Amino acid sequence: MTATLLPTPKDWPAILLDRAGAKDPTDLDEAVKAGAFEGLRRAIRELGPEATIAEVEAAGLRGRGGAGHPTARKWRAAAGTEARERYVVANGYGADPAAGTDRALVEANPYAVVEGAAIAAFAIGAEQAYLSVRASDTEAVRRLEAAVAEATSRSFVGDDALGSGRRIEVEVRPVQGAYMLGEETVLLKALDGKRGQPEQRPPHPATRGFRGAPTVVQNVQTLAAVPWIIRNGAGTFAKVGLGGAPGTILVDVRGLEASGIAEVPLGTPLESIVGLGGKPGAGRRIKAVVVGGPTGGILPPSELKTPYTFDDLRAAGAHIGSGSVVVADDRACIVDLARLLTRYAADEACGKTIPCRIGLRRLAEIGERLTTGTSRGGDLGLLEDLASDVVGSALCDHERLATLPLMSGLRYFRDEVDAHYLRGECPAGVCRPIRLAAGAARAGASA
Amino acid sequence: MAIFRSAVPGLGIVKGMAVTLRRFYEPKATIKYPEMPPDVATKFRGRLQLLYDEYGALKCETCFQCAQACPIECIDMGGMDTKGRFHVHWGPPETYGERREESALRRSGRTVPDQVYEHFATFDISTVDEILERYDHDPKHMLPILEATQAAFGYLPVAAIKRISERTGAWYAFVYGTATFYSHLRFEPPTADGKPVGVAARRPTDDGYVAALGASLGGRRQ
Ligand SMILES: Cc1cc2nc3c(=O)[nH]c(=O)nc-3n(C[C@H](O)[C@H](O)[C@H](O)COP(=O)(O)O)c2cc1C
Ligand code: SF4
Ligand code: FES
Repeated sequence: MTATLLPTPKDWPAILLDRAGAKDPTDLDEAVKAGAFEGLRRAIRELGPEATIAEVEAAGLRGRGGAGHPTARKWRAAAGTEARERYVVANGYGADPAAGTDRALVEANPYAVVEGAAIAAFAIGAEQAYLSVRASDTEAVRRLEAAVAEATSRSFVGDDALGSGRRIEVEVRPVQGAYMLGEETVLLKALDGKRGQPEQRPPHPATRGFRGAPTVVQNVQTLAAVPWIIRNGAGTFAKVGLGGAPGTILVDVRGLEASGIAEVPLGTPLESIVGLGGKPGAGRRIKAVVVGGPTGGILPPSELKTPYTFDDLRAAGAHIGSGSVVVADDRACIVDLARLLTRYAADEACGKTIPCRIGLRRLAEIGERLTTGTSRGGDLGLLEDLASDVVGSALCDHERLATLPLMSGLRYFRDEVDAHYLRGECPAGVCRPIRLAAGAARAGASA
Repeated sequence: MAIFRSAVPGLGIVKGMAVTLRRFYEPKATIKYPEMPPDVATKFRGRLQLLYDEYGALKCETCFQCAQACPIECIDMGGMDTKGRFHVHWGPPETYGERREESALRRSGRTVPDQVYEHFATFDISTVDEILERYDHDPKHMLPILEATQAAFGYLPVAAIKRISERTGAWYAFVYGTATFYSHLRFEPPTADGKPVGVAARRPTDDGYVAALGASLGGRRQ
C-alpha cells in the first residue's frame, strides 16, 4: 500500500516529493534524467568535503526527525573528530504508527535518500552508510533495496563512488519491534544487535555513536533535501519557507474529509496545513489539533495561526515530531485523548530510567483517574509537579515530550479538565460513567 | 537503694533528657549520600535484595536490565546460569527462586508450569547452527540472528537462546534480555493461525493504537 498524497497549492515548492508522479521510482535512468546523483557528483568533483558542509550550512538545513538540529553542525562535529572509521545512518523508521511521512518519502524518492546519505558520507569521511527503515513497510524496503542495488551496480556508490577513489558503501537495514527505535541512540543500538535503550548525551552520536565511532544519524527527509541543495544552490533552498527554518517538510494530516501526506514549506501557518484535509464532517467544528504524534501537543483553534516551525510549535506546547497533524472535532474529549496518548507513550517507554519507567506510568494513571471519575484531591497539582520533574530528570527526549499531551490539555482546555476533575463530568460525553446519579452505582449502571 | 531510686519523682525524665543532651553534642552519624561517599571497605559490594510492593508481589519484573548491566554476569533471572545449570550465582537463592516461578515466566509469556524446564528437552540444534554460521557467530548481528531463529521455529525456544549464547559468546542474559525488548520476538509458540499467545499477545500494537486513536477522535472510549 502506498501513501495517499494530498494536493497542495501550486506555489508550494516540491523538494522532497519532486518525483512523486514517477511511474517507477526505482528506475535509475529516469531518476538520473531528473537530476539524481548530480548533487553527489558536484560534491565530489567540485566542492570537496568542507565546501559541501558549508553549502548545507548556508542552506540553513535543520533535521526533519523532530528536534530540528542544524545538520551542518552535526556533520562538522563528525568530520572533526579523530577516528579510524565514521558512519552515516539514515533514520527512516517512522516511529509514530499514525504517520506515514518517512515511508511516503522513501517510496516516492528512494534515490534522493541514497544520494543524500552518500553525500553525507563523503562530507564527513565515512565509508559506510546504513539506511534504516521499518521492516513492516515492505514496499519501502523493497524500493530502497532496489535503489541501492542499482546505484551500486552503476558505481554511483560502492567501492569507488563516481570514480572518486572513495569507498561509500550503502546498505539497507530494516528494523522493527519498538517505538523507541526512532530515537537515534536506540536505533544505533539495534543496528549493533543490542537492547534498544537510549544513551546519555553528550557524547552525541556525531562524536561517539555506532560502535564508538563518529556517526551522523539523519532523518531520511533531511538527507533527501541535501542533493537538492547541492544541485540548486544553498541560496535557492534558504529562500523557501521562513528564514529561521528554511525548506519543506512532510506532514501527515488526519481527522478531516481527506487524510494523507503533503509536503509543506516550514513556517506555513498550522491552519493552512489543517486546511489540506478539507473540512470537518457536517455539523461538526474543529475542537483541537494534535501536533507531533503520540507525544504531541493538543492545540485549540485559537493556536491555528502558529507557524509550523520547530521553535514556534515548541513555544505553543507542541512539536513537529513525526509530522503528524491529527484534527479532532467536537465529538472528541480532550482529556480522553490526552490519556490515550500518554498511555501509549508510557507503554512504549524503554524502562531504562525512573522518569521513563515510573514517571510516565504515574502520569498516565493520573489521566486514567481523570477519565474514570476517580481523581484524587491534588491530582492536578501532582500532574504539574510530576511533569516538571520528568522533564527535568529525563534521559532522552521521549519522557520530556510525553508530558505534552496532558500539559497542553491543561494549558488550553482547563475548563474541560476541571469538569472531569472537580465535578466528575465529561462535557463531550465520552468518558463514562463519570457522573453517577444517586443509586446508579448500586444499580450496576457502571458499564 | 532500688526502692529509693524509684521514689524520687521525675528522675526518669532527668535521665532521659541526659541521654538526649549527650547525643545532641555527639558527632552526627548521618552522611549526605550520595554526595558524600560512605566509609566502607573497598571490597564491599552491597547485597542484592528484591523488594516487594504494597500488594506483596515482587517489584522485579524480570526486565533483565540489571543482568545485562552486571559486568561479571552474577545476576541471572530464572535461576539458570550460562552453563545451563539450575543455580543462582549470587544473592539469596530463595528469592531468585521466586523469580523463576513468577515474573520470569510471566514476562516471557509462559503460564507458570510445574515442570518449569521441560522446554529444554529435545531440540534440533543444527537449524540454529546454520543461522549462526550465516551471521558469522557475531553477536553484533543479534537481531537478524534472533529473527531468523524465530522464522525457523515460530518462536524463540529457550534451548535456541542458550545455543546462541554459547556460540556467539554473548551471555544468556544479554541474548534473552535483548529479545525481551523487541515486541516482534516471542518466547511461546503461536497458535495454529499464527496469533501470538501469552505476554506477546497482550503487548500493545501499532494497529491497536491507531484504532484507539480513531475511537477517541470519534468520541468513543475504548
Ligand atoms: C521517542 C523518539 C522517537 C523518535 N522517532 C524518530 C523517527 O521516527 N524518525 C526520525 O527520523 N527521528 C526520530 N527521532 C529523532 C531522532 O532521535 C534524531 O534526532 C533524528 O533522527 C536525527 O535526525 P535529524 O537531525 O535529521 O532530524 C525520535 C526521537 C525520539 C526521542
Ligand atoms: S530484572 Fe529489572 S526489575 Fe528485576 S531487579 Fe533487575 S533491573 Fe530490577
Ligand atoms: S524512554 Fe526510557 S530513557 Fe527515554
